[in-house]
Amino acid sequence: MRMHKILLAVAILLLGFGVATVGAQDVESIDYPKLNEFDIPDVEKITLDNGMRIYLLEDHTLPLFYVNCRITVGSYLEPADKIGLAGICGNVMRTGGTEKWTGDEIDEMLEGIGGTVEHGIDLTDGSAYVNVLSDYKELGMEVLAEVLRRPVFEEDKIELAKTQARSGISRRNDDIADISLREWKKLMYGEDSPYARHPEYATINAITRDDLVAFHQQWYHPQNIQMAIRGDFDRDQIMELVNKYFGDWPEGSVEVPSPPPVDYDWRSQVYYIEKTNAEQSYVRCGHIGGLQTDPDYADRIVMNSVLGGGFGSRITETVRREMGLAYSAGGNYISNFDYPGYFICVASTKLASTVQAAQAMIDQTRSMLTEKPTPKEMAQAKDGYLNSFVFNFDSPGEVINRIMTYDYYGLPEDRLQTIKERIENITPEDVMEAARNNLRPDEMVVLVVGDADRFETPLEELGLGPVTQIDITIPSGEETEELVVNEETRAMGHELLTKAAEAHGGLDEFKKVTAVSRKATMTMSTPQGEIPLSVEELKVYPDKSRAVISVMGQQMYDIRNGQTGWKPSQMGSLEAKTEEDIMKEDRELNRDLIWVLQHAGDPQLDAVYVGPGNVNGVDIEYVAVLDDNAEPVGRFAFDIETHQLVAVSYWTETFMGDGTVVDHVTAMMTTSGLMLPKIVKKELNGNDFGKVEVSELTINPEVPENAFAKPQ
Amino acid sequence: MKLRNFKTPALVCCLFLLATAAGFAFDYASIEDDVTEFSLDNGLKVIVMERHNAPVASFVTFANVGGANDPKEYTGIAHMLEHMAFKGTKDLGTTDLEAEMEAMRVEDSIWHELRAERKKGDLADSARIAQLEVDFEKAIEEANQYVDANAIWRTYEEEGGVGLNAGTGMDMTVYFVNLPSNKAELWFAIESERFYRPVFREMYKERNVVAEERRMTLENSPISKLIDQLKSAAFTAHPYGVAIIGHMSDIQNYSRAAVRRHLEKYYVPSNMCIAIVGDVDPEKMHKLAKKYWGRLPASPEPEELATVEPEQEGERRVYLEDPSQPFFAAAWHIPHDRHPDWPAVQAMVDYLGQGRTSLLYKDLVKEQKIAAQAGAFAGMPGSKYPSLAMVYAVPTTDATNEECEEAVFNQVERMKEELLPEEEVEKIKARAKAQFIRGLTSNQGMAMQLAGYEVLSGDWRDMFNELDRINAVSAEDIQRVAKEYFTKKNRTVAYLQTTEE
Repeated sequence: MRMHKILLAVAILLLGFGVATVGAQDVESIDYPKLNEFDIPDVEKITLDNGMRIYLLEDHTLPLFYVNCRITVGSYLEPADKIGLAGICGNVMRTGGTEKWTGDEIDEMLEGIGGTVEHGIDLTDGSAYVNVLSDYKELGMEVLAEVLRRPVFEEDKIELAKTQARSGISRRNDDIADISLREWKKLMYGEDSPYARHPEYATINAITRDDLVAFHQQWYHPQNIQMAIRGDFDRDQIMELVNKYFGDWPEGSVEVPSPPPVDYDWRSQVYYIEKTNAEQSYVRCGHIGGLQTDPDYADRIVMNSVLGGGFGSRITETVRREMGLAYSAGGNYISNFDYPGYFICVASTKLASTVQAAQAMIDQTRSMLTEKPTPKEMAQAKDGYLNSFVFNFDSPGEVINRIMTYDYYGLPEDRLQTIKERIENITPEDVMEAARNNLRPDEMVVLVVGDADRFETPLEELGLGPVTQIDITIPSGEETEELVVNEETRAMGHELLTKAAEAHGGLDEFKKVTAVSRKATMTMSTPQGEIPLSVEELKVYPDKSRAVISVMGQQMYDIRNGQTGWKPSQMGSLEAKTEEDIMKEDRELNRDLIWVLQHAGDPQLDAVYVGPGNVNGVDIEYVAVLDDNAEPVGRFAFDIETHQLVAVSYWTETFMGDGTVVDHVTAMMTTSGLMLPKIVKKELNGNDFGKVEVSELTINPEVPENAFAKPQ
Repeated sequence: MKLRNFKTPALVCCLFLLATAAGFAFDYASIEDDVTEFSLDNGLKVIVMERHNAPVASFVTFANVGGANDPKEYTGIAHMLEHMAFKGTKDLGTTDLEAEMEAMRVEDSIWHELRAERKKGDLADSARIAQLEVDFEKAIEEANQYVDANAIWRTYEEEGGVGLNAGTGMDMTVYFVNLPSNKAELWFAIESERFYRPVFREMYKERNVVAEERRMTLENSPISKLIDQLKSAAFTAHPYGVAIIGHMSDIQNYSRAAVRRHLEKYYVPSNMCIAIVGDVDPEKMHKLAKKYWGRLPASPEPEELATVEPEQEGERRVYLEDPSQPFFAAAWHIPHDRHPDWPAVQAMVDYLGQGRTSLLYKDLVKEQKIAAQAGAFAGMPGSKYPSLAMVYAVPTTDATNEECEEAVFNQVERMKEELLPEEEVEKIKARAKAQFIRGLTSNQGMAMQLAGYEVLSGDWRDMFNELDRINAVSAEDIQRVAKEYFTKKNRTVAYLQTTEE
């Protein structure tokens, strides 16, 4: 017993010594074995007769099959009034069906086998990928070919993609990190630049199926596609499939223009976006950056690592660790292949310390120009890159995709080796030189998203001049399209209105109209279902009207009498119209068909010709009627041949939210020689919103006395 | 049988038959053959899987402790401990250990005085608080001078480590890094040391970092905030109702002693597992494990959590008002992941809300277009204990939470009323299989799964039994769990409601 205890004590003692010998000294003195040799897998490159470039890499570890395509296309190719077109095209090519299958059938097939085929278009490239168990490679290849070559763009899926895009727009200010990145890009590239611009309701609403079909036809050709295939397959078998599904695709002739250059305005400036419901602020500072092909790209890798590349870097050390200001803080000089990246320092920090975080990041940037990296910093940056170099080759996916990318940009396959050699030999002086050539701490743009009332120090203390506030209000869907307002478009607008007046019964007849009365039934489509209502309306141009609205047994009045009027209140009684209501009604008079047509040719009505278009398959021409500020009140779409009204579209507030309403005229009626809408189908943001059917229409009716007095 | 409403396009049926006929001859046994396991004398389980395609390896330390184990007054401490485990050891991270230890003792003692004074509330001596705050800042600065910051990260990165990080869940805490395979010993040395002789330096600065993390990931994200409130409404007793990151006031009162207590209780060899996957030799790994991890003393396994969530007795509703756009979510209590009903619940949720062919996506997104996204998943916020299955919908600009709620619940009702056709059940299984195989791709994913199954399920081999479990599910099982768990009484509904800014 006693002996046992002694042995145990000795054992514990030994263990104790053992501990003493295994400490930090050992971490530094561990004798590592040599890294096992291994072969970087060889990628085979094949170019088909039609110009499509194929890359092959077999890997039989698991029964999986992958295809990854790079397509020379991008949202930089879309027109400025249809921003979002490329993204929607990329989405609907996959979801909107092909000549062989509907989109839903493709979903069913793929999800039934746990497989994926996706396609999307990004800023300067498109991508498509297949990921299926290797038993299903042929199915994967066929779906891919259908999606790339024969998409049919089902209307319903276009509508879905547009609805999702609009939802994204409505939510884009909910997250401060998103706001910060989006607005930062505008400060770097300019707000209209393809590298910064983003969709708005109007640009999404403007996208049609024809646009998608044309975009696909224009850019999707085999010579613009690279296809990397890897996984569990047999080389000859897979080339048979490639030839079967892509070999007969004729080469196109289109030249894809290069992404445009960036014109950057060097400056020191502080920008601020107010976000009062945030508990943190998001701070960015930096300036325009460079290209991956710049000669000092390798030097910048080390520079980044010293300045802001994670733990141990100057920014992370200062802002996150020493000052405890932020959970995330870092800095990076970003380089792209196609267009300049930017140099950016980012911190998300508690509101009080916003300015301190920004200042600390600028100071650390400046330190790169004045303080040579220490041996410790150099070791961390260089050893980190060199020792982890093997991870560039540890997965077949990385290897094949890199070769595909280098091939696209015409870069040598051993580019990474060259970078590695440069980093092996780089000195602290070289890093400082790279910082001096690339970083400009005295010309920094600072963007802060947060609540300035809760900052401990005002932003002005950064000493970079006055603060510019950025408004991020989401623009309504009102036509943002630049209307050309000049004598010529005005003349053309009135000319078209005159033709329309003739087509609807004659300009002279319209001029005789002083009043109109209507009885109509309406059905409003609401989330609670369809609500039927009936309306009796009497209108004396320009500013007297009376409407009695009956809904579910209740009657409501809406009266307008010159500069006064009454409207139904929330409580069900009447309340006086405000000055704002009156102004709004006066503005909306410019959407009244009779009023507009009787002023055809009359310069008092400001109307301009917009251009041709297509509504529900009918070729039309648009005229926009403008208010006193030359802002459009409504767009009238007239049939290009008959000049009859097809639709009126306008932005307005509704009980279902704000949006673009389109009134589609689906039937006309003729009264006193005038042809006017009988049935109007209403759409709000592309969704059914209701229907109006006129049962009685009287021109110049008798107007009872006291018709426009306040009802009792 | 009411099959009418679950239509499967004929074409897809044919395709599926073809697929089944083609067969699938993938052999899991070959994977199991590459695995070696051994236990150290102190009870630590070590799992090694050989994969020699490239000279790299993934290293994982898996601790059987998560947010669910946090003591009541120290919510979030498991997560804080994960942060503190990166602060170094007695040898790694200091320039003068003795002076540093003394400075940290001063820090701690001022902190305890300050905390006590603050907690007196109205009776507190404000002048004393002010003085203590000044002293505290000074003590932090004093201790800070001896810190060799981020020595662990730096050492790993210098030696070529990539993907170094850690994560805290409700059920587990996991630490991981990928290294060139010749650097395995570095991992053994550092990783064992940081649980054997950790030094929680920079404790009080890190507390602020965690507070910022809470602001960034929870308070600044209206949807995260809503889900957090949904969970706290659904769980009245079980700790699954408290966010992993913890309450702000708890975070601001963490102490070094509290972190130490947590480490000593849960980071014992019998409550942990390490897994290595890559270009390594199991024999050598065994030797290194004994040399380094063998130093940790054996210690009794901590007691399992005993709190049980009482049965829910009626629908609960949560509203969060915020200027952001609306969001709808609902959740039902479901059993834990080792329960026999778990695979059927997974299958049900898959059919209800995963992918473009799911009921929710088809109805709310594709057909009605009232949601931009909609989906469902099971096992929130953990799955070791009875948890939640959640559905969500992101209303489109013209739609409301109410519309989405109605549509979502209609689809849930269909799962109860209608029996799934056999081919739909087969498709669920096919998806599970594909997903399983993809999960074997990366070394790191593999290592995490092996260690996770070993710790949470008791045997890493259970990882390969998951497919058998799901393959045993029938259409009747799916319908039965839908009826049993997805009831009105058992659910909590949450709305993010838009207010004017």
